[in-house]
Amino acid sequence: METVTDKTNISCKLGILSRPDGSAILSEGNTTVIAGIYGPVEVKLQKLLIDKASVECHYRPKSGLPGVEDRLYESIIRNICETSFYASLHPRTAILVTIQELQNSGQLISCAINAACLACLNAGIDMKFMFSAVTCYMNFEDDLYLHCASGKETKAMFVFVFDSTEKRIIASHTKGSFTKEQFEEAVELSKEGCEDRFTYYKKVLES
Amino acid sequence: MAEQYKSLHPIKYYRDYLAHGIRPDGREFNKFRPILLNVGSIDTADGSAIAKVGNTTVVCGIKAELCKPKPDAPKCGFLVPNLELPPLCSPKFRPGPPSDQAQVLTQLIADIIENSKCIDLNDLCIFQDKLVWCLFVDFVCLDFDGSVVDACIVSLLGALKTAKLPFVEYDPALDNIQVNMEERKHIKVHSTPVSTTFAVFDDKVILKDPTQEEENLCSGILTVVFKDDELCCVHKPGGSPLTQEELSQCIEESKERTLFIKRLIDTAV
Amino acid sequence: MPVDHKRINGPDETYPYSLYAKTNKQSLNEKHEDIKRTGQRSDSRTFLEHRKIFIKTGVVSQAKGSAYIELENTKVIVSVFDPREIPNRPDYSLKGEIYCEFKYAPFSCNKRRLHIQDTEEKQYSAIMKQALESTVCSHEFPNFQVDIYAMVLHNDGSCLSAAITAAGLALAHAGVPMYDIITSVSLGIQQDNLFIDPTNEEQSICLYPRTLDTDHGNVIISKLHMHNQISQFYQSGNISLEKINEAIGILDKTCEELVPVIQKYLVKHVIRNLKDREAK
Repeated sequence: METVTDKTNISCKLGILSRPDGSAILSEGNTTVIAGIYGPVEVKLQKLLIDKASVECHYRPKSGLPGVEDRLYESIIRNICETSFYASLHPRTAILVTIQELQNSGQLISCAINAACLACLNAGIDMKFMFSAVTCYMNFEDDLYLHCASGKETKAMFVFVFDSTEKRIIASHTKGSFTKEQFEEAVELSKEGCEDRFTYYKKVLES
Repeated sequence: MAEQYKSLHPIKYYRDYLAHGIRPDGREFNKFRPILLNVGSIDTADGSAIAKVGNTTVVCGIKAELCKPKPDAPKCGFLVPNLELPPLCSPKFRPGPPSDQAQVLTQLIADIIENSKCIDLNDLCIFQDKLVWCLFVDFVCLDFDGSVVDACIVSLLGALKTAKLPFVEYDPALDNIQVNMEERKHIKVHSTPVSTTFAVFDDKVILKDPTQEEENLCSGILTVVFKDDELCCVHKPGGSPLTQEELSQCIEESKERTLFIKRLIDTAV
Repeated sequence: MPVDHKRINGPDETYPYSLYAKTNKQSLNEKHEDIKRTGQRSDSRTFLEHRKIFIKTGVVSQAKGSAYIELENTKVIVSVFDPREIPNRPDYSLKGEIYCEFKYAPFSCNKRRLHIQDTEEKQYSAIMKQALESTVCSHEFPNFQVDIYAMVLHNDGSCLSAAITAAGLALAHAGVPMYDIITSVSLGIQQDNLFIDPTNEEQSICLYPRTLDTDHGNVIISKLHMHNQISQFYQSGNISLEKINEAIGILDKTCEELVPVIQKYLVKHVIRNLKDREAK
């Protein structure tokens, strides 16, 4: 499969790993992650759910062991996946989502979430909707923009995750402080950004 | 009969209640539980506070120690927050290393502290490049009954605002430290973040200040933190999607509560 | 030391500021001399007087039973959970078991405690288990385990005995079948001075001998009231036989003094419960 690049500055390749059921390598700007999906597979007894599949997420940083911060990312990705899957189709099983960070120059979380979505699509897991994450920055002049030259100081950062059907907000994660109006503006701007992501997803799947 | 029904069909039980516009504990959807704050009850800590939100109880204790700053930030002190969810507070937790939930909440609290800038780490500097304060902020949850982050943030401010650090004289030539235990000073607290938790039930009903039961049964959680007039955290870790209007509504409602909590903290300290 | 990946870690080396305190406080020896001279303890109690005790049950809503105990500055909270199957046990055991965990909150002592259970806490957990084992009717819940967790929020001496007394109360509150009311008291010994229910400072006075071969140490006993039996005895330090006999006599008497407090509380609790039920 070919690498597809887009105006959103994303490039992606599906199915690069042979062992998992689905995988994707995705880079946004200079940030790159690999996502792999196994599932539905056998589940550990402790995590067995009788009415649906249990979703697990493992996030691996570039070097060393995952710390407390990575645990927060894990929980966000896990919750998003759980919402989007038709988990009740596969009771007493597990779906494992593994994310490996390769390079980080900002917007790491949104990159990881997008990679997870593409990997799920590649694995053919039944989903209620696709999801895409957009990172939005605000500089000290209170301007909002979607791309950030790395290393530049920002006043606030927003990550929003939207669903593909109604463009509702699945997840939100913020850094820094901002007013309610700025927050709403950021949501608007990100919503536009996510449209591009979904068109891009389609392009990737068609190629 | 009601008890059996509740344990067999917990979700249905809740739906029946919510259809009538009321929650099983007698609250309306947009009502908060009573909040209690008690400060300075533990004198082995440099600052301490106990916060109770309904049944949820969190103790926050601050221990200050001395240390050398990092070479790349010679003027910055340290603030190390950790939330402990001991097996004592809920049957959900087992002894051993912190559960995933404890780690996620610890990071969330650390993020809130950082984003709200309630403590300026430069204030913790004693002598540049040689000596700074390290504040160990430990939260111990004694009763885990939902909206733990809200209780943590209230107790954090109670503890920070009452914490007193002794005066330290540092002689760089001799590398000599002398601590004057009698002369103590408050830490400067720059802002008052207030957190409000919401739960989304069945993708449509939004419950404020959920209990543990509600958190378990609901399909999504949202935590909004206000710092004075600014927002400093809108955290929604997945779960039921919300429209932009619903989100704005939640933000608006949490803003109303900010003033009340701020007054509560000010009265307590 | 390996890095703890499951917590936020501070800088590698930190020191408590009290190490560099300018105004040198009285040494422990001087303090003991003072006490000997005036014949009065620093909180103006007599040597054989127990501190005032405050107890409350039902403080943890999520637990089956819970109790909070306060001896002036010593504050301990204990919770008891529903019996669950003994984990990792292949064979069936006719008797139930109890599991105890004793923990200091990080900010409860003068020196910051680490999150991981240290050896002192492990030892105290074992002592607690020993004390409580003989008070629960373990044949009533075969193959099941009752979990008891104690957390010290503020340490001002006699934490372990406070935890054991509170655990007995929490077990009763949880409705775990028990033979008897259990009470526990600590005693510190330094030379001829006996300190009932010692504070943290008195405990440290009793920790080391003043001169070689003098009596010093801490003693803790737990007593079952109706059976008039001692279910646990723990002693540290070096104490002569006569002294220890005297100490046990005193401790025994003080344990008895605590019983009416516990009894009264339990009776009140039962009456309240009955009233609540009637109201329903």
